[in-house]
Amino acid sequence: MSLIGYLKDKLPVICVFVTVQLIMLCFFGGYHAGAEQAVIISTVYWLGIAAALMIEYSRRRGFYKRALESLEGLEKKYLLPEMLSEPSFYEGKICYELICGCGKSMTENVSAHKRQADEFREYIELWVHEVKLPIASLSLMAHNEGGAGEKYAPQLARIDGYIENVLYYARSENAQKDYIIKETTLGRVFKESALRNRESLQQRGVTVSAQGLDKKVMTDSKWLEYIFTQLIANSLKYFSPDREPVIEVYAEESDSTVTLHFKDNGVGIPATDLPYIFEKSFTGVNGRLHSKSTGMGLYITASLCRKLGHRISADSVQGEYTDIAISFGRNEFYRP
Amino acid sequence: MSLIFVVEDDRALREELSELLENSGYEVTAADVFDDIAGQVLASGAQLLLLDINLPGTNGQSVLKEIRKQSDLPVIMVTSRTGETDEMLSMSSGADDFITKPYNPMILLLRISAVLKRTQAAAPAKTLYRGLPVNTARGSIGEGSGEIILTKNEMIIFSRLLSSAGQIVSRDELMTALWDSEEYLNDNALTVNISRLRQKLSDAGLENTIETRKKQGYILL
Repeated sequence: MSLIGYLKDKLPVICVFVTVQLIMLCFFGGYHAGAEQAVIISTVYWLGIAAALMIEYSRRRGFYKRALESLEGLEKKYLLPEMLSEPSFYEGKICYELICGCGKSMTENVSAHKRQADEFREYIELWVHEVKLPIASLSLMAHNEGGAGEKYAPQLARIDGYIENVLYYARSENAQKDYIIKETTLGRVFKESALRNRESLQQRGVTVSAQGLDKKVMTDSKWLEYIFTQLIANSLKYFSPDREPVIEVYAEESDSTVTLHFKDNGVGIPATDLPYIFEKSFTGVNGRLHSKSTGMGLYITASLCRKLGHRISADSVQGEYTDIAISFGRNEFYRP
Repeated sequence: MSLIFVVEDDRALREELSELLENSGYEVTAADVFDDIAGQVLASGAQLLLLDINLPGTNGQSVLKEIRKQSDLPVIMVTSRTGETDEMLSMSSGADDFITKPYNPMILLLRISAVLKRTQAAAPAKTLYRGLPVNTARGSIGEGSGEIILTKNEMIIFSRLLSSAGQIVSRDELMTALWDSEEYLNDNALTVNISRLRQKLSDAGLENTIETRKKQGYILL
């Protein structure tokens, strides 16, 4: 709040004072007052006005200055009402009330939406568990049937995969911490995922090579299993028709991190697309050319990694390979 | 023949599960009412329990705790919830294994036989094949000069065939057993391993051991 700005705002009031001064001068003239008296009275008059304006200005300045500075300094600007104290002047009180009222209503609105989102997520979790029962029954029926039933199994596995996508999308978007980090052997988790995808991998004739997966990392094994399943599904989509498909999974260890590489010899990713593959709904050239892609798989994978505190990156040469690397920090803090 | 007790409140799933287990040579008893499950299980004299976590009026973990007060019966927990919490809770209440729905039938059967083998191995009856002792840990069949040394993969295949000796074991079942041991063989490699295994057995004088059934699998005779 600057003084000049304040005075400009008070211009109409000052105009009134000037008019009064002019009227006073007329009176001085009419009553034949001396020049000296006129000057003294006018000076006192203007000094009074100046003092009044200054008092008003200083009362306002403190409040608005603090408010503006708080807003500047706040990362979450909506917390402003918490930072203000009630001012002593009338307009300030009104202003304070308005800000607090708005803030309160906004908080209520946000928490209603948050509750709604939480309820929706809880329902999704519940629904996923419900729908898995008939899928489990169907896959057993398909197996018990033998022969003819066998062709249903891959379709059921696909449905199950898409359902997992919904579940993990809901989990990755939610602020709640619903994972458990504990020491996990990479090989065990990869095995679970490979077993689940064994049929589709073998149908495509994929050679799977796993090396150095006896290393232990701090992670949530269920989430990591889902991440592996996503990476396998991605590789299966983008294998090159001119060579034998190969997936290599290996882990490297350094002082502070364990880095897991998931490398396939598929069509690769064009250099121009590479920086965006972890972004939501990005499909890129491969997504458009090769198969239907929603651009969600790698996005969910990356947000799960981010939540778990792992670093994910991609390296690729088009037409040769794609290498997704996940780095697990060696957080001693978690160790028992 | 082992008796398996199934606790699963979804009727369709329960019936299919029973059929799967019966087809694989197990005897099956299933609970129809869900009060005093622990009592029913213990009274049945089953060798293994497949226990669902979400049950009407109770949950698998508390049933398991009740059973553990009286018995060391092998228990595999089954759930449709994919979360680390359930698994940790189950394992800490004393479950032997934990499987999530929808389970791959072959993996389920593999886990069941693994848990049964592990828990019944308390009295280590020596596994024999045609009178020769099979040493899984050493990867060998027979003793002394006639000892047949197998590679890790050949041993996994042989053990799987031996555990269902006289029955057809499909290539998918062999693959599941191999992949479960983190040996990611492809189709060709499996064929190569089987013929090598057959060759080793025949070199040691064992003829007509592994018979191929077209489009079905293999039988160990």
